[in-house]
Amino acid sequence: MEFLRKPNAMLGLLAVVLGILALAVWVPADTGSGLVEKARGKYRIGDALAPAVAFSLLIFSGLLLLWETRSKPAQQLITRHHLVFTGGLLLIFALSLAAMRWTGPMAVALLGAGGEGAGYRELRDTVPWKYLGFALGGSSLVGAFICLASRKLRLRFFLIGLAAALAMILLYDLPFDDLLLPPNGDV
Amino acid sequence: MNRFLRTFAVAAVTVAAPLAALAADWTPPGPIKLMIGFGAGGGADTQARLIAEAIEAKHGWTILPEQVTGNSGLNLLTALKDEPADGTAIGMIVTETMAYNLVASPESGLNAGDFTPLATTAAFRMGLVAMADGEFSSWEQVKAAAEAGKAVRFGTATTRQGDMAYHLGKGAGIDFNIVSVKGGKAIMNGLRGGDLDIGWVAGAQAKAVAQGEMINVARGIDTPLRETPEAPSITDIGSQFYLDGNFMFAAPGGMDPAVRDALAGAIAEVLADSGTGASQLVTRAFGGATVIKGDELDAMLAKAAGDSQALLKDVTE
Amino acid sequence: MSEAISYIWLGVLAVFEAPALFSLAGIGIPAPLVMLLCGLLTGIAVGATPGLAGPMAMAVSLPILISVFGVSADALLPVFAFLIGIMKGATVGGAVPAILFNTPGTPDAFMTTLDGHPMTLRGTPERALKIAHFSSVSGDTVSDIVLFVCAPFLAVMVESVLDLPEKTALIILSLSFIAAVMGASVAKGLISVSLGMVSAYVATGQGFHPRLTMGVEALSDGFPLIAAVLGVLILGEVFKSIFDMWRGIRRKRAEDHNADLAPDGLRPGDIRRILPHIGRSSLIGCMVGALPGVGSTLAATLGHSLGKRRHETRKGPTDKSFGEGIPEGIAATEAANSAVSGANLIPVLSLGIPGNAAAVFLILAADSIGGFNPGPSVFNFAAPEINPELVVAFGIFTLMALGNLLNWTIGGIFMRSMGVMARVPNRILLPVVLLVTLTAIYVQETSLAALWVAIGFGVLGFFFRVLEISVLPFVIAFILAGSLENTARQAFSASGGDPFFLFRSPVACGMLAAAVILVVLLARKK
Repeated sequence: MEFLRKPNAMLGLLAVVLGILALAVWVPADTGSGLVEKARGKYRIGDALAPAVAFSLLIFSGLLLLWETRSKPAQQLITRHHLVFTGGLLLIFALSLAAMRWTGPMAVALLGAGGEGAGYRELRDTVPWKYLGFALGGSSLVGAFICLASRKLRLRFFLIGLAAALAMILLYDLPFDDLLLPPNGDV
Repeated sequence: MNRFLRTFAVAAVTVAAPLAALAADWTPPGPIKLMIGFGAGGGADTQARLIAEAIEAKHGWTILPEQVTGNSGLNLLTALKDEPADGTAIGMIVTETMAYNLVASPESGLNAGDFTPLATTAAFRMGLVAMADGEFSSWEQVKAAAEAGKAVRFGTATTRQGDMAYHLGKGAGIDFNIVSVKGGKAIMNGLRGGDLDIGWVAGAQAKAVAQGEMINVARGIDTPLRETPEAPSITDIGSQFYLDGNFMFAAPGGMDPAVRDALAGAIAEVLADSGTGASQLVTRAFGGATVIKGDELDAMLAKAAGDSQALLKDVTE
Repeated sequence: MSEAISYIWLGVLAVFEAPALFSLAGIGIPAPLVMLLCGLLTGIAVGATPGLAGPMAMAVSLPILISVFGVSADALLPVFAFLIGIMKGATVGGAVPAILFNTPGTPDAFMTTLDGHPMTLRGTPERALKIAHFSSVSGDTVSDIVLFVCAPFLAVMVESVLDLPEKTALIILSLSFIAAVMGASVAKGLISVSLGMVSAYVATGQGFHPRLTMGVEALSDGFPLIAAVLGVLILGEVFKSIFDMWRGIRRKRAEDHNADLAPDGLRPGDIRRILPHIGRSSLIGCMVGALPGVGSTLAATLGHSLGKRRHETRKGPTDKSFGEGIPEGIAATEAANSAVSGANLIPVLSLGIPGNAAAVFLILAADSIGGFNPGPSVFNFAAPEINPELVVAFGIFTLMALGNLLNWTIGGIFMRSMGVMARVPNRILLPVVLLVTLTAIYVQETSLAALWVAIGFGVLGFFFRVLEISVLPFVIAFILAGSLENTARQAFSASGGDPFFLFRSPVACGMLAAAVILVVLLARKK
């Protein structure tokens, strides 16, 4: 299957297969009305028509790509490294966003701040609690990516992250009462 | 502000005083999350934020507004339902969401009982609007055009408005081409550009009507419209229902009545105080606040739900 | 005619005789002027910060402005002044991250990266920035003049020609044009468009069942526009750059490094060589801007590709092409997208229909404050009494002219001072950009789910770049898909359910035929 070694041909094939699957299964199962529906005595365009047009266009463009690449030489576009990198970045996001979400609530629970019955939710507009998650999560996010980009592990990188997070707090939270930093809109 | 208005405002505050006392007894256990079911920066969004600001100034509570938009307010209700009912989560929507939309979408799994209505803030001034100098500037002209075989394009912004357009046409013997558009402003633009012939607008038309650019062919509410008092009611020309509605605040279901009164009282209080930005905005955009709360609000929503059921039945027949 | 002149004068007076915000040496400084300057500086800073964009700043500041100035008629001009300042500043500032860091903050600035960033890599960032500033402000000024002259007439004509089916056909034509022109392959352009449409159609149906969400509640309002667009455009670019740094891959065209030994800054002849491009692109921008619903991104694309074609036929054998870091490339793009903003207010002011996100916020401001109702009544010169809306309209024109003046003078200096960020190494700056972008998205959407949406679209943008698929058609399709579906629905309903509604008018048929021909021709050529 020399044909499949070409990433562009693979992409075309993938577009065609995805488009057909979506048209056959996803669109009919997950829309409230058909391509057209009869309501109030008249036909009108249903919720399935626009996605059906979009997926048909996807199939068409996949076929066009297969036709375009039939005579072109193979290029190595995607490597193992791209997949490893994607996995790594998703891991960094998962860890730092989790730190953002749970640092504040955990600190409140451990230190028992705010008296009985009060949790992080009640303290989400109170300094310093409301900044804890953003500061820790933000600095680990920035720090981890600097480490990744420079292929070195340094404490300095995380301090840069902390400085960036503090700058964001100065920019958004101090002047404006109504703006919420992560994670304070989720609790 | 003239003396009469000032006296009136003082009187309104005095009347609201017992409620204020009650509100003073209750303090929210934490910051209040205010979900706004309208796009950021729009008139309704501004109204919600200004009310929140005035309450913060008056009571020292903290209110944190955020946008929860989409699916005609049902997204907001879905999110609000799971919040605690201790007064730390409220939402701003329209009465249509609590009545028609809940009745029309049983698959959403939401019921009116999942929520505690707090208070309305302002009433729609719903009109059936057309260009003043066009060929649809009175109901007689609309009828005549339809009878002459012209397809009349009827702009609607919500599902209920579409159903009401169909219901009105059915009663009047006209088969409208019902065109659904995003919002009353878009309907007015459609009228100006000639894309639409007539359409429902919930109050944004007031200025255009006052300037003689547009006209209310009919009114969708019980009380006459200020700019066009002579416009017939839609119940006189074929409809069995009004197309009325209000902006309103709601909270999760099962709320302590004292908390409900405190929150509703706080909303009523800032709208009655003509010094607040909220009150000025509502006066300018809707001709004044319309605050309905407590049992009266429950009764109004129950009637609206009943009407919605009857409307849906009529439309699907 | 005398009415028109007296209205212009009233508009100027409305700005300068507005209530003073504070007094300086005994002279009261009118609030609109102060707000215009603040808005302009904010706009430049926001535009120059990768991850922030004008509409975002307008969205955040509108509620603040309304709480400061209230909703009286006096509030109109100061609030408009700030928003117009942001709009003008961001247009200029948007070129800074595009040129210095290859991270376009807006879809239009993407075309600026093509020539601007190579110039930075060659060690002449200041020259690139000066060219961008000059082109941008020129385009903006031309556009404002067109607005002042044409507003009452042109918009009424455009709107009277286009009914709903023609509007539908126009969007289809725009999409097929973008797909066919952008990138190396028509097929990849179409894949990009179709995926953008699919993403936009998640949860945006008419019924109460949120379509294509697979029952995920967090998606019940669809992918947030800001999260999807910033994800694909900014996070995708950041991921690709970090990947390249991680793998030790130098950016393309790195061999050009230090090739340019001449000192940085404008050179003799620079202005003369870019003037024809500025002229052509300004006209394109004005024409695109005057069409309701077709925004600055199309203008930037058109300006760049027409400029490129023209340049290829004219240049000598040793001259560099577009994309290799030449001033003409920056000028063709910046003049075109800046020339949209003024002309864009033609349909906004005379019909109330916005052509881009910035115009949407002007309408929202007018709507929230009241006393100004964008629409045909604004340009009613014949009213028996003074038409206050027309005074406001000319007040807005005055503010725009003053904004240009500020942009010509202090705008360029302030813009280049934003280049201080160039000294920060990318491996530190880009992760910080990541945090800024995510924070900006969170502030708007207040939900961690929106951050995951942005990250997801960022990964998509990363693989688009790896597979050499252009991301811009995706973004434009994502933005236009909603209007496409809505106008098609409206046209179908308005016709009473005619299945051939798109083919009943010669104008619509012509546009659809052009759309097909474009794709066929370019697919065979490439």
